[in-house]
This record gives sequence, structure tokens and C-alpha cells, in this order.
Amino acid sequence: MKPDKNQIWNQVLGSVKVSVSSAVFSTWICKTHLVSLKKKGGDRYIAEIGCLSSFVKATIESRYFGLIQDSLTSALGFPCDLVFVIKQPESSLNTNTQAQTPLFEVEMDNTYFVERLNQSRIRPSQVFENYAVSSSNQMAWAACDAVSKNPGSSYNPLFIWGGVGVGKTHLMNAVGYSVLKKNMDFKVLLCTGEDFTNDIVMGIRNKTTQNVREKYRKLKCLFVDDIQFIAGKDAAQEEFFHTFNAVTGAGGQVILTSDKPPHQLMGIEERLRSRFEAGLIVDVGNPDFELRCAITSIKAQEKGLDLEMNYVSLISGNLDSPRKIEGFLIKLSSELKFRQVEISEEFVSNLLGKEKLDVNGKRRIPTPEAIIDAVSSHFSVNKKALMGPARARMVARPRQILMYLLRSELHMPYADVGGLIGGRDHSTVMHAVTTITKLSSLDSKLREDILGIKSAL
Amino acid sequence: MKVEILQEDFSGALNLTSRFVSTRAALPVLSNILLEAKKGKLSILATNLEASICKNIGAKILQEGEISVNAKVIFEIIANLSHGSVLIESEKEGVKIFSEGFSGRVSGLSSSEFPVVPRELSKNAFELDIETLLNSLSKIIFATSKDETRPILTGVLFIFEKGVLSLVSSDGFRLSRISFKDSKLNLTKRITIPRSVLSEIIRIKDETGHKIYLDFKEEENQALFSFSDSVIASRVIEGDFPNFEKIIPKSIATKVYVDRETFVRAIKLASAFARDSANIIKITVNENNVEISSQSAKSGEQKTKMDARVEGVGLTISYNYRFLEEFLGICESEEVEIGLNDSASPGVFRDSKNPDFLHLIMPVKI
Repeated sequence: MKPDKNQIWNQVLGSVKVSVSSAVFSTWICKTHLVSLKKKGGDRYIAEIGCLSSFVKATIESRYFGLIQDSLTSALGFPCDLVFVIKQPESSLNTNTQAQTPLFEVEMDNTYFVERLNQSRIRPSQVFENYAVSSSNQMAWAACDAVSKNPGSSYNPLFIWGGVGVGKTHLMNAVGYSVLKKNMDFKVLLCTGEDFTNDIVMGIRNKTTQNVREKYRKLKCLFVDDIQFIAGKDAAQEEFFHTFNAVTGAGGQVILTSDKPPHQLMGIEERLRSRFEAGLIVDVGNPDFELRCAITSIKAQEKGLDLEMNYVSLISGNLDSPRKIEGFLIKLSSELKFRQVEISEEFVSNLLGKEKLDVNGKRRIPTPEAIIDAVSSHFSVNKKALMGPARARMVARPRQILMYLLRSELHMPYADVGGLIGGRDHSTVMHAVTTITKLSSLDSKLREDILGIKSAL
Repeated sequence: MKVEILQEDFSGALNLTSRFVSTRAALPVLSNILLEAKKGKLSILATNLEASICKNIGAKILQEGEISVNAKVIFEIIANLSHGSVLIESEKEGVKIFSEGFSGRVSGLSSSEFPVVPRELSKNAFELDIETLLNSLSKIIFATSKDETRPILTGVLFIFEKGVLSLVSSDGFRLSRISFKDSKLNLTKRITIPRSVLSEIIRIKDETGHKIYLDFKEEENQALFSFSDSVIASRVIEGDFPNFEKIIPKSIATKVYVDRETFVRAIKLASAFARDSANIIKITVNENNVEISSQSAKSGEQKTKMDARVEGVGLTISYNYRFLEEFLGICESEEVEIGLNDSASPGVFRDSKNPDFLHLIMPVKI
């Protein structure tokens, strides 16, 4: 257990008080506090003691060092070293709230900031503060964080790619917000690939291409969402190429998002692709369960819903994308409001059940035959070979996956699974199921295979 | 220690240093000053544990040494001696004082008990013009807060940036800022220094030279000032000064130019009734004049109309008259410029001839 700082220090002060005169104590010692107490290898502690001014520090250091060290050592039960610093106790810095300062409570020029956000098309709701980070998006988040601190110099361009609803736009938006917050007069623009194309088209139509160039090329930060939309549009690509060069050439920052990595983007000119590849390319993966939990609780808080942890995990366990979670939470809060009921597990799962029906229509239970078909077609392995005795790896692994699926999807007994697949022993099935379960947490290829088969069902 | 010194010098120095002695010290040594005779000069040191002073005066050192004695006692004696030479000699735990027809002994304490007081600045010290600094300080120091619950506002914020020093003070109701250029300044720093020390420095002003030297000891959290044989050290107030740049209005809807003396008189008149009603006076801006009115339920009401040059729309705004009075007190030019936006946002007050000075006052909401 970590010793409590204040308690320890009170103990020290108490024992020092006995050894010195009360005037000395009240002048020098009683106003000190323990700033930090750290363990420094072995059983030795290092204590940082805060004094109000350098006069106090100098006197205590030269005259009462030994006394304090002895008292602290006996209070802790371990030897310790002392370091003196000049620092106000935190409590005295936090009493600000009582003083009235109407001058600083005037609306902090919010209107201008909001106006700038609007001009830059940055949404004030998507910021770093409400972005949850886990292993699937950590790299992208770290890159964006670095860019927001140092736009134009850290990673330029920054290319973020990933599936729908994984938080690419949120990240990009958050960079824009924090850049603008630091300097409201920074020229920032967030647009989609489509906006850009439309602007070019309008420019050509109205003979105002020059204005369009002015708008984009003088930017300090250009963020383009869904850059894949300019694929196959030659004029837009050409214009974007020059815009890109102008912005980065002037030390500006470019961030792009896309649903695919640059080398998979079809219909993008080679010179543009190579520019995309010159910066940092990061991907944002689908959120895992823990991240979804974090997202659920952040979003619930934003909506003023006070969700307990069990509801959070119930919701995130059943819905796999943040957008679905968002939609569900809206529904949940409005249902709660309309019906005037207390939240309960039953209520939530009821609503979740409806959700499933709403999204997928009917929930089907696949037959064993369907699963066998799906596995055989996915791996292009003959059904006969799957059922047969061959134990070559290219047959054996699909067979194990098949057993795993039969077991996990249909909850068939081990013996029945074995019987279905060429009369195998139940222990063979058990082995297959545990192998695949273990592997699926390690092997992403395997996970993809299983997902592919499941979606084919 | 044995020193021969002129009464005039010694008395002046004691007067100065005794202001840095704590008035209610629990420890006897803290109500003392330290006399230190060394290398041809006499240093007088004092501290109240927040700030300290080290004042050097020329003296004939017959024997080096040091002793601490009660500040009040020695000052009272020296101040009342006749002009001319005074001989001071330490003897055990005390000093003997001899002057023409006078001899006395003041008991003291060993110098080892005395706190460590900075005696000189480091190499990093830089200089400023003392006239400019102290004049600027005296223009804004009145706006500091006296409320200890928000320590950061009890000091003056020094902002060094791009060769400009800006001084900012605020008590949460009003804010003063004054800036001046000094091409030799090349540091970038924000530091808040307690009002008490700065007002002492302003008071010492008369006996100073041309330059003041500043030095900051980051680790000790200390700011040092040095001028005319004195070194003054002060603690620096920790914490962040509120973000005042944001509250300075970027645009102004109504600008009013009024004659300062007329304005002062109008406020004096209004204060007669405003005192009974929370110091509130009402200012109504019309097309080409300004009306100042106040009323008291008990004693009556008044209205003063004064000519003014008005640019922009008319409006009505209420202020605490004391804030206006204090601002006008430090104005020097004949005309005062007032910039207003609406009755709920702070007004910008300027002294027409001094564009580097800015004063914001928060109106009273009714």
C-alpha cells in the first residue's frame, strides 16, 4: 500500500514540533508540505518537500535537515533522502473559486471561435477529448496528436485509412479543432473529396477557377475526407495535385482519409499516389470490444444518459460499429423519456433484440449443411475431402474451422459434430475447437476467414 | 565589528530596510535587521520571508564583522541622533553606539540565526530604465486585488515578449495593462510579482539612479531587483494568470471622448448619492453628450450632463464609481477615451495621450 502523503507529513510535523521551540516551528516548519514521496530502489525513499519561499527553504535546509530526515525515516520505517523545492501547497492554488471575478467570466469571445470553426467546417463535437483510443487506432491517434501540436512538420501528408465508422473523420476533425483553438486565425479547411471536385466543376462552369485556387492553395491546413472520391476524375486530380504541392510547399499540413490504402486506390494518377505514399500512412481498425465500451460510455455521457457498466458492456457486446451504438443510444434515451421508465437490463436487451430485427430483418439459424457448404466453398476444398480421412494441412485446417463453427454457431454436441464429419471421435472435435479458439485471438488471417464464412451464411 | 558611519546615511538606510521586517514575527530574529561590515562597506539586510532587501552604504570599516539587532529599536535611536559621525561597535550579543554626547547599547543576536538573504544578482541580470518601469508600475498597480483567496491576482504580471515589457494587473472587476518597448530586452517570460514588494520599490523611487537591474531565479522561484546600492528579492506568485487577452474587446461599438476634469467633477457629484446605493452610477451616452446620474432612496438623486464627442450608437451602462475615480486618478491627459459595446461587457478606458495604456472595467449588472 502506498503511504498517504498528508498523513505521513502530519506525523513528521508532530514529532518535529516536540523538538523545536514553538516560534521556530510556526515560522519555519509548519508551512511546509510533502510534494512527493518516491521509492528510489531498494527500501530507500526520496521525499520532495515544498517550502513557501526561498528564505524558508534555505533555513530549513541548513538547520533542520537532520531533524526532519530522522522524523520522516521513523514515520516511514525506511531510510529516506530529502529534496527541498519552492512550491505552494496545491490546496492554496485551488481556492480560486471563492473569489468573484466577473471580468473573466464574460463570454470568452466564443462567437469568433465558433465562426472560425464554421468557416473551416470543423465540427466542435468531434475533438480529441471525446476520442477513445485502444490498440486498433492508437497509431492513428498518436500521429494526429503529433500533427496537431506541430502542423506541417511532423507527418506530411498524413494518410488515414480504414473501414466505415471507425473514426477517421473524427480524428481529422479533432486535429483541426485543436489547431484552431491554439490559433484562431490559422487557415484550416476540412472538406470531402466530393466537395473538392464540386468546387472545381463550379469553377470551370462559372469561369472562377482562380477563386477556387485561392481558396485551397493558401491554406495552412487542408483536410480532405474520403479522398477516394476524386478517383477517375482527371481535372479534379490535376487540380488536387497542384493544390497539394502548393500547401505542403508553403509548410502547410495535409491530412487525407480514405477507405483503402493508397496503393489499392483505383483510378488515382501515379504521381498523386506517390505523394500520398510519401507521408505517414496509418490505418484505423474496427473497434474491439473494450474500445466499443469506451465509445458507448463517452456517447452515453454526451447524451446525458447515466449508464452503468453492465449496460455499457451489454450494448457494446451486441453492436459492432460506433454508428450503430450512437443510433441505439439515441433510441434508448428517447424510449426512456417517452415511456418514463427506469433503465433495466430487460429493457435494454429488449431494445437490442428489436435492433437486430430492424437491421437484419429476420434472424436465421443456419443449418449444418449450409455451414459445410460455406466452408468448402470458402477454402475451395471438396466436401468429400473435408469429410474424408486426409490429414494434409490444407484440408485439416478448414476441417477444424468447420468443427469450430458447427460447435459455436449451432451449439451442437461434440459427438454429433464428430459423427457429421466422417465419424470422428468427440475428442478430435474438442481438440479442433480449442485450437481454433486459441488461434483466432492470434491469427488475423484466420479471423478474416471465419468472418468471411459467417457473412456467407 | 567596528564601523564609523554618517548618521544621515545610516538613518535613511534603516528607514528603508525596516519596511522589509515582519511586523508580527514569532521568532525574535525575524524582527531584526542584520548589519554586516565587510570589504569597505556596511550592508543592512532585512527579510519578512516573502521579500528581502540588502542595502549597502559607504562607511569606514574599522573591523569587519556582523550582528543582528532589533530593527525598530536601532532605527528609533539612530533617527533621533544629531547629524554627523556615529560609531558602532559589536560587543558579545549586542552593539554599542557612540555619537556626539550619546552612548548606548542595543542587545542583539548572533548573525548565524538570520535567514539567508540574496546580496547580489547573477550574470543573467538585465537592465531597464528605472523611470519608465516605475512610472508604468505606478499607473497599473492600483488594479491589483487585495483579496488573498485568489493569490495570482494580488500580483502584477510581467510579460516579456519581443522586446516589449507589458505589465498587467487585475482584481477580477477591472484590468490594467501598460506596455513599453526596450530594444535590449530579448527574453520571453511571464512572471507574477507580489504587489507589496512592487509598491515598496515604487516608494524608494526618489533615491534611485537611472537603471534598474532584474534577475529571475527559476529554481528559487524568486525575482530580484537591484538599483542604487539595494538588492530586493521577492517570491514569485505561482499559478497561471487568467487569460486576459481574450476579454479585451476586439471591436468597439461606441467611442466616447470626454474632458477628464469635467468627468472627474461629474463623478464626484454622483458619488454623493451613489455611496448609499452600492456605489452605482448610471452613464447614458447620447448623440453628443453624456449623462451621469445616481440616486439614493434615502437622500435624493442627481443628474449631470457633460459635452462629449460620441462615435457610434447611444447606450446606458452602470458602473461602480470608485473604479472610474481610481482610473481617472492616474490619467494625465486632458481627454479620456471610453469604448463601450453593451451594458454587460467590459468598457475600455484609455488615456488619450498614452496609447500603450489600457484599462478595462466590468460594468455593474442591474
